[in-house]
Amino acid sequence: MTAIVLDGIVLGLQFGLLAAGLTLVYGLGGVLNLAYGQMAVITAMTVLFAMNAGVPTLAAVAIGLVAGGLLGLIFDQTLLRPIYRRQGEARVLLSLLLTLGVAFMVDGFLNWRYPTAGLGLQISGGPIEVLGIPMRRGSIVGSVIILIVFALLFVFFKGTSLGRAVRSVIEDEEGARLVGIDPSLMLRIILIISGVLAAVVAVTQSMIRPVTVTAGFSITVFALIVTVVGGLGSVTGALLAGIILGVVNSLATSFIGTFLSLIILLVAAAVTILIRPSGLLGVRE
Amino acid sequence: MTERFAEATGTSVIGGAERRSAKSLLALVVPVLVVGMLLALVPLWLGGSRVLMTVAILGLAFASYTVGFNLIFGSTGQLFLCVGALAGIGGYSAAILADTVGLPIVVSVLLATLASSLTGGLLSWIAVRRSLGVIFTGIVTLIFALAFENLLLGLGALTGGENGFLIQSGRDSFLRSRVPAFYLMLALALLFVVVHGLLRRSHVGWAFRALRDDEVAAELAGVNVARYRVYAALVGAGMLGMTGAIYALTQGRVSPTTYGFAEVDVVVVVMLAFGGIGSLFGPILGAVTFTAINEFLEGFGHLRLVPYGALIIALFLWIPRGLIPTVADWVRRRRHQQ
Repeated sequence: MTAIVLDGIVLGLQFGLLAAGLTLVYGLGGVLNLAYGQMAVITAMTVLFAMNAGVPTLAAVAIGLVAGGLLGLIFDQTLLRPIYRRQGEARVLLSLLLTLGVAFMVDGFLNWRYPTAGLGLQISGGPIEVLGIPMRRGSIVGSVIILIVFALLFVFFKGTSLGRAVRSVIEDEEGARLVGIDPSLMLRIILIISGVLAAVVAVTQSMIRPVTVTAGFSITVFALIVTVVGGLGSVTGALLAGIILGVVNSLATSFIGTFLSLIILLVAAAVTILIRPSGLLGVRE
Repeated sequence: MTERFAEATGTSVIGGAERRSAKSLLALVVPVLVVGMLLALVPLWLGGSRVLMTVAILGLAFASYTVGFNLIFGSTGQLFLCVGALAGIGGYSAAILADTVGLPIVVSVLLATLASSLTGGLLSWIAVRRSLGVIFTGIVTLIFALAFENLLLGLGALTGGENGFLIQSGRDSFLRSRVPAFYLMLALALLFVVVHGLLRRSHVGWAFRALRDDEVAAELAGVNVARYRVYAALVGAGMLGMTGAIYALTQGRVSPTTYGFAEVDVVVVVMLAFGGIGSLFGPILGAVTFTAINEFLEGFGHLRLVPYGALIIALFLWIPRGLIPTVADWVRRRRHQQ
């Protein structure tokens, strides 16, 4: 039982991290980035190519993180410009469609050029015991990294004035503008953070199982579901929803069977949305 | 009655922007016939090639899907991202009812249509009751679509799992020869356009426009927004289910990818957005165009997704309302200037 819950938490942390990058951009910019999974895949490929070129693993990961941030910046400077000119649901719809186009382009190119590529980071060493349960070292290292990233995010949003400025824009864009905060600068920062988070997703996932070129779509879908369950714009909600869904998935897999577990996960997400449309910790509009 | 009289004689009881919708029945029938006759020529051109005819039949299935989606999304603003799943409910129900249960094909198709229609109505009812916005309706229906795909894979004994199964019913009938199947699918697509057109001309169409333009204002003016949304979903999902069922019978097999999210929903959204969301003939134009583009790019394998993606971006940046409304506006403006 403990083993199942621990497995669920490991998976849940992954889910939570997936959602964090998406939820911030949605909460702040009203932009639904359907190319988020592809961003993660691009950074995974960057790390892979760097490693193949002989760069040491840690340096390759660092390159991946920088590449993620750059991707976010490029997104903000190009594709999102026309999107920002719209408001409300028109903005969400346009962002959804344009980023879908980007997702197609990235998927098409990568699948054509590197059909079998996949990033898998081997963490050497035997299993680590947690609460008496032996856990794979890769899972533990990945989980610890995710927890550190979340801690950094919390410190950034709660403790620094820049983070507070970003949150003020999430809560009330007009109000933030009135007190002298530049929303478009905050958006740029958030997109860079979101890109780096996509890179962290790629790196930590590859410690458990390889991130292949085809993984983009499923990463995006899970990120979307967790985001919605957690509440738009809430990092805490993303973490909470991720862990809950991870544990639900893990319990369902072991007690009911693999094929129904995903359906149960989806039903759990749908029920949460129906009971609380604003998500677990979302701001009710 | 006066309204119908006014429409029949071509005079308008309501002026200005809504005049188009009040035109005579001819304004609906003539374009449908013209489009129908043009498309009816396709087998003369492609008839020799079984492969190309199969592509054309799929294109018509997509035209019908897009009309159904247009009715739900374009007319009443419900973003149903389970087009493939609703069509799949139709396709699988018809195949299972006809093969495993042994019902006559026509009865199977009708029951399958009913099953999709009720599912769509239920989804819409839930969305309306919980007053989910466009995006949340999209996400809940997306979740439904993913769950459906997994159910197909999981219930392997009934659905054949990943490979699907071959449909025995109607194996020796006209359904399996390409040219009659093409005309059947064409008739279906045109029928759906006519149904959508008639709905738009009726009082239902007034309610649709009112609730699309301003939901709160429509509600205040006495339009039962919830009821019309559910109506649209019932009819639209029925269209999707019937198309899915008949298409499956013409292909002689069903499989999860026939109705997958990436294979159907994404394509349908793009087709509708290209043709024009809410426009009557937009779905047909979008389906024909993208079927042709897709076939043209077939040889490029995965690489064809790149121009496809670029095209999507370009389209939404420059003609976000779709081709037909944009061109119609341009023509009208030209006419005003003269």
